[in-house]
Amino acid sequence: MTCIFGVRYRPGALPADDFVLCLPTNLGRDVSLYYSEIKYSETYKLLVLMKAKLLSFFVVILSIGLWSCNDKCTETRVTRRQTSVTRSMMEIRGQIKAQPPRELVRPGKMYVKGNYLFVNEIKEGIHIIDNSNPANPKFISFINIPGNGDIAVRDNILYADSFADLVALDIQDPAQASEKGRVKNVFKTGMFDGGMWTLNEAIGAINDVDVKFVTETYTTNCEENISPGGWWWSSPWSIAFDGAYLNSSSSAGQAATSGGTNGQAGSMARFALYENFLYAVGQNSMQLFNISNPAQPQQSTNIELGWGIETIFPYENKLFIGSTTGMFIFDNSTPATPKQLSVFRHGRSCDPVVVHENIAYVTLRTGTGCGGSQNQLELVDISNPTSPQLIKSYQMENPHGLSIDFPTLYLCEGDKGLKLFDVKDKYAIDKNQIAHFKGMDAYDVISLGKTLLLIGKDGFYQYDASNPKDLKQISKIPVGKAI
Amino acid sequence: MIYPQTKKIMKLILTIFTILVLVSGSLMAQDKADFTRKYVNHTEFGGLFGRVKYGGFNGGAEATENRLSLTAQMFQGIKWSSSLATGITVGMDWYKTALINPVALGARYDITRGRVARLYATADAGYGFAWFHDDPQGFKTKGGLMVNPGLGLKYGKPDGAAFTLGISWKRQEVNVEKASWNNEVDRTEERIYNRLALRLGMIF
Repeated sequence: MTCIFGVRYRPGALPADDFVLCLPTNLGRDVSLYYSEIKYSETYKLLVLMKAKLLSFFVVILSIGLWSCNDKCTETRVTRRQTSVTRSMMEIRGQIKAQPPRELVRPGKMYVKGNYLFVNEIKEGIHIIDNSNPANPKFISFINIPGNGDIAVRDNILYADSFADLVALDIQDPAQASEKGRVKNVFKTGMFDGGMWTLNEAIGAINDVDVKFVTETYTTNCEENISPGGWWWSSPWSIAFDGAYLNSSSSAGQAATSGGTNGQAGSMARFALYENFLYAVGQNSMQLFNISNPAQPQQSTNIELGWGIETIFPYENKLFIGSTTGMFIFDNSTPATPKQLSVFRHGRSCDPVVVHENIAYVTLRTGTGCGGSQNQLELVDISNPTSPQLIKSYQMENPHGLSIDFPTLYLCEGDKGLKLFDVKDKYAIDKNQIAHFKGMDAYDVISLGKTLLLIGKDGFYQYDASNPKDLKQISKIPVGKAI
Repeated sequence: MIYPQTKKIMKLILTIFTILVLVSGSLMAQDKADFTRKYVNHTEFGGLFGRVKYGGFNGGAEATENRLSLTAQMFQGIKWSSSLATGITVGMDWYKTALINPVALGARYDITRGRVARLYATADAGYGFAWFHDDPQGFKTKGGLMVNPGLGLKYGKPDGAAFTLGISWKRQEVNVEKASWNNEVDRTEERIYNRLALRLGMIF
């Protein structure tokens, strides 16, 4: 097709009018003949302004008309979906046994005791890893413990939760762990991946939820964080409590000293050992177990704390308990009956705690279900534990677990990596960042002095930390692989 | 994420751009001997007009809304002939929830040669950056590809400064990582701003 664009007019008559003339090229004769006919016709005189050039011009105009001027925005959400299931405690109790080593799939918390590493596989059990050569950690076995999230080890006894029960396992031979003691129906509720389970004691069952992750897309108006109907009230519980187990891996700190030799847990641990007691924090209370006979833990005091309890960190003769709303400080000089000294309240968020001397380092994080709006590190003066005072807060990106090897503070920033700070000057921590290591997912860190253990979604790392400025990776166990 | 459609248009504009630059040499030769290459600046501001249709989840009704954002841009280039100039376009677009700075390769081409008014074609293709966008806590806005072809009218002397009135189609991609809520683990938004850009400007 060929088009011409012109102005035609009758001689002597005004105004002239524009026209476009398009003729098919397959007329069998030269198109210009038509032009000539029009051009020289008696009625019209044609002023051809432009010819072929204009064709492209019209194509452009047409295209503009055809392309939509509508914003198109889609939001992709990966949502946690829950399906209710009922599990029998009787069946669960029969399933605890040592199995051949298996690969890491969804690593949770980690725990260190001597040359052994214990890595929780969320809700499934515990990997036992021989770490006598940190460059080449070896999986020894996997203890199948349904509903397991936490670990504590004293001497040869490993304490683990299995939904409602506390189990004591003999790990003298780590390849052949065996059950030695059990306290039944002691934990009433718990949470994995944001899905809450409750114990139905009357029938010996666990009302559990299976959690699946669903990807959905929504059309948005490109401008606001609109919510599809029902989104707000769909699960009001989980806003406050998801964080508790979701980030079930942050870790740091020193284990309390006591009669036996304990392992080392972290800032996100829910189990703590101190003298003859094992402290286990649940969603809303702290349960004490007397372990003077380590293989046969006995249920002891239960202390109500209010909802949203997340972590316990023993330091000297105090217990620091992190909840979604604040930090509880307990005097633990009488281990059988810890006494609450104070609560340091802050905005609602996820918050592991570590302590060194008179300063508590608390991180607040937004994100899945934590419900807060702050991403920061707070330093709290606890020289007077009955009245903790804020020293200073520092903005962070996405702080998770932390660990202190004074004066070095290791702080996980989730997918932003690991940050190291010199905390000698408590008012200028942000100015004393030693290093920022990127390229790994950092959720949890335990400093063992010269060695640093780090766990994240993509695997388990060990670093030589003798020079904090220059961490050297000793080994890595990637998710999906057993060594 | 880069949409294949944008990629295609971008490829087209870049191809045209390359051809324009390549042919500019021959155009120059065709031009009058007295034409010399010179610097050209085309500064424009205006509005980005659009609409959006959204909603419709969980049986809810869909809604449509009007959109208007402020835009400003400056093209700086070399005039290769009496009709063609190529160069770099930088600008700023104030979308309601994204402040985007496009940096693009651009071309301006005079289609007609009137004494008072001339029709010109304009095309820019590049990347819109979110350098100056300040995200709320938990959000991260990233820019994306940008294409902006169109037409305009120039009022003024052919060899002097001229006022311009441009009409063009602008497509800007933006990606936003959002803070997750409640049961969400991950929340991201892919935005495509498809706008009709009306701009007033000066070219000299």
